[in-house]
Amino acid sequence: MTDFEPKIVAFLCNWCAYASADLAGVSRLQYPPNIRPIRVMCSGRVDPVVIIQAFKKGCDGILVAG
Amino acid sequence: MLDVAGIGKDRLHLAWISSAEALRFAEITTSTTLAVRGLGKFDSRTFALELSAAEMTLGSETLRWLVGKEVKLTTGGDVYGHKWETERYESVIDAILEREYHKNLIYQAVKEGCTSVRDVSKRIGIELNKVSYLLADLERTNMIEFTGMEDRKPVFAVK
Repeated sequence: MTDFEPKIVAFLCNWCAYASADLAGVSRLQYPPNIRPIRVMCSGRVDPVVIIQAFKKGCDGILVAG
Repeated sequence: MLDVAGIGKDRLHLAWISSAEALRFAEITTSTTLAVRGLGKFDSRTFALELSAAEMTLGSETLRWLVGKEVKLTTGGDVYGHKWETERYESVIDAILEREYHKNLIYQAVKEGCTSVRDVSKRIGIELNKVSYLLADLERTNMIEFTGMEDRKPVFAVK
């Protein structure tokens, strides 16, 4: 499994992490393509149930960033 | 919760990034990707029972009420006026989480087709006496019913 590419769902806060992701794109910084960003209005909005559902749907890891 | 379910909390990462920290964002996504890649693929099918039970537990009224009461219990006090220590609150919530999770795991196992206490215990790896103890609780809350005897074994079904 050397070429395994994990699927990571990233819940990003609209005001902090999502903006920093935007800035990372604008500044042409390199970051891995494995993350699937989901913009939320606040990272406190991410319910534990949502995290379990993401695992159920077959993601390998989750990042919650605020 | 993820540890109790055997999925492992290493698959869940939490980070605080300010909107001005693009470099930090790149670093965190890289380290998360590396960590998860190291853990290998997550097969949700082998964890189907555990995931369903975890989802039921986290969505349950009992746990949500308790989480919502944290500040009130630790700073204001309960209905008897006793203020709870944070450690006590945490140990109580951990115990309830595990108990509810095991109950839901039994529920899922019975739903899947395990009818006897022995089958359930074998399927989910919880000791026999604990399974029958929690089954009694599930019966009381009308989630599981006793449907009769088969080969001198009690048979259970999901309501």
